[in-house]
Amino acid sequence: MPKSKKEIIAIDSISKIYHLGDNVVKALDDVSISIYENDFISIMGPSGSGKSTLMNIIGCLDVPTKGVYKFSNELISEMNDSQLANIRNEKIGFVFQTFNLLPKLTSLQNVEVPLIYSPLGRTERLQRAEEALRIVGLSDRMAHKPSELSGGQRQRVAIARALANKPSIILADEPTGNLDSKSGVEILNFFDELHKAGNTLIIVTHEESVAKRAKRRVELFDGKIVVDE
Amino acid sequence: MNSIFKNILIGLAAVRTNLTRVILTSLGLTIGIFTVSIVTAGVSSIDKEFDKSMEYYGNDKIYVGTWPWSFDFDWWQYRNRPKIDEDSLEYITKYSTYVTDVSIKKNTWTRGSFGNKASWLQLNGVYPGYDEMLSGTKIVNGRFFSQNEWDLQRRVVIVGGTVRDGFFDGENPIGKKIRLNNVTFEVIGELKKQGMGMVPGGTLDNLVIMPSSTFSRILTRWGFDELVLKTKPEDMLKAKEEVGMIMRLARKLKPDEDDNFSVNSADAYQEQFDAIKIAIAGMGFLVTGISLVVSAIGIMNVMFVSVRERTREIGLRKAMGATSNNILIQFLSEAVAISIIGGSTGIILVKLITMALSAFSPLPIDFDLLLIFYTFMICVFIGVSAGMVPARTAANLNPIDALRHE
Repeated sequence: MPKSKKEIIAIDSISKIYHLGDNVVKALDDVSISIYENDFISIMGPSGSGKSTLMNIIGCLDVPTKGVYKFSNELISEMNDSQLANIRNEKIGFVFQTFNLLPKLTSLQNVEVPLIYSPLGRTERLQRAEEALRIVGLSDRMAHKPSELSGGQRQRVAIARALANKPSIILADEPTGNLDSKSGVEILNFFDELHKAGNTLIIVTHEESVAKRAKRRVELFDGKIVVDE
Repeated sequence: MNSIFKNILIGLAAVRTNLTRVILTSLGLTIGIFTVSIVTAGVSSIDKEFDKSMEYYGNDKIYVGTWPWSFDFDWWQYRNRPKIDEDSLEYITKYSTYVTDVSIKKNTWTRGSFGNKASWLQLNGVYPGYDEMLSGTKIVNGRFFSQNEWDLQRRVVIVGGTVRDGFFDGENPIGKKIRLNNVTFEVIGELKKQGMGMVPGGTLDNLVIMPSSTFSRILTRWGFDELVLKTKPEDMLKAKEEVGMIMRLARKLKPDEDDNFSVNSADAYQEQFDAIKIAIAGMGFLVTGISLVVSAIGIMNVMFVSVRERTREIGLRKAMGATSNNILIQFLSEAVAISIIGGSTGIILVKLITMALSAFSPLPIDFDLLLIFYTFMICVFIGVSAGMVPARTAANLNPIDALRHE
């Protein structure tokens, strides 16, 4: 990695340990990784390899049992729930496999959801949401509800929602898993564009074709990083 | 503050999308608020009526009669008591330190007529100067009878408000001649109308007052006499005790003999009335309390359903940066909204019914802004207490699990 790039995430030998009855499960075992500005990373691995756990921790939805996690020099591993919520709100955009749009809201209202939990005023929220929908090319679908959109369009609304807060990183969990191959390619092309525009992307996937798009590839196995290139 | 408001709006939006369910749930509270308002309004109306009746008897009057005003079961103890006679008044004026004014009050009911109109009227025979002892009313037209008229047993009367309305159609009654028990009397005065009260016959105004001398000479049919004694309200208890002792003296009772008279005052009614009022209010509030608790349980149940239905939404909102407090406020406002909808419907229902009732019933039912305010507070309280547990459940959800929820 060129050292000129700014480090956003510094994860230093973190572990996540679950106790299931008498069994001790090490979902993550002494993992270290650094993520830099404008990285495009794919995280791969078979089921149970710990990739979801790593993604939850990177996304500040969960905290490691051991180890140090710094996000823009802020110590995430020591934060409480509402501090984590603020970090998620300001710095992270999520894209889910199942889109997770709220069915009763319009595209615009869906994109507005993360902004509601920010200190922005109403006019600014609407401006940002409209802008995000323009970036994903859905300016003409702002008043549509998710049920009136195709799968690819829904995922683009979800991406717009992830972009709305101008996050430092975008975390996508199997973003093409529920899409047909044509829409999938469309979404991946769009991720390329986002990368070119300077965004930092992390995609969790088990599809080789998706992983190939990324500029950096991280593979997990049994809670350890086995490949990082 | 702004962030609280935004979360309240999200909660309210949920109410709008589930309107049928919300209305059905809030129905319980509607019924609860409806009963509580009716009971409160009813009790305060009865209270007002009662106060008016109390005014009629006066809080500064002692009535000495044969019968006590309230007794349980032992009526036979009183029926053979000697009649009240005016001689006792001499003892009272002579010995009492608390009584400031006295009068006999002879009571009977008789047929009264004017022209072709006739009615059953309450008759009182009293001393001159009794106008100073009237309570809750006063002479508004004409005058009271004089000492001279009393001495000469003149046939003059002072009429109550309903007699004026019934016989004279609102015309000036002074100088008119009415017939009582087939004797002609001249109307010389008119009393202020008091309205309905909790006294025999309902109205306090169906009344004719005349000199007790005339009453005894002309209208000596069945009836009963009372002594009316005026005192200061603050001296009431001491005065009653004193009057009791003077009456024993007047009646020449031996120390081991029981009283053969009764010293009455309005506070005896007050006790009876308070018991009735507590019984009505107690039943009402018991029923209301039960329906409020049941409706709170209903709201809680619906809130649990709502939280469960929207587990993924909660997970998503948390992933997008909602704090636990944001989610708590969102669901609490949903619960409070349901309960306010129920409460307002109840209030509107009460308002409509009181409007309909006031067209038919002479008893006014009280309904005021304070009641609306209390109802509102009750609704907020019920909403918060019913919504607290479901909302906390929602707020404490782990976003990872919630997002995975099917």
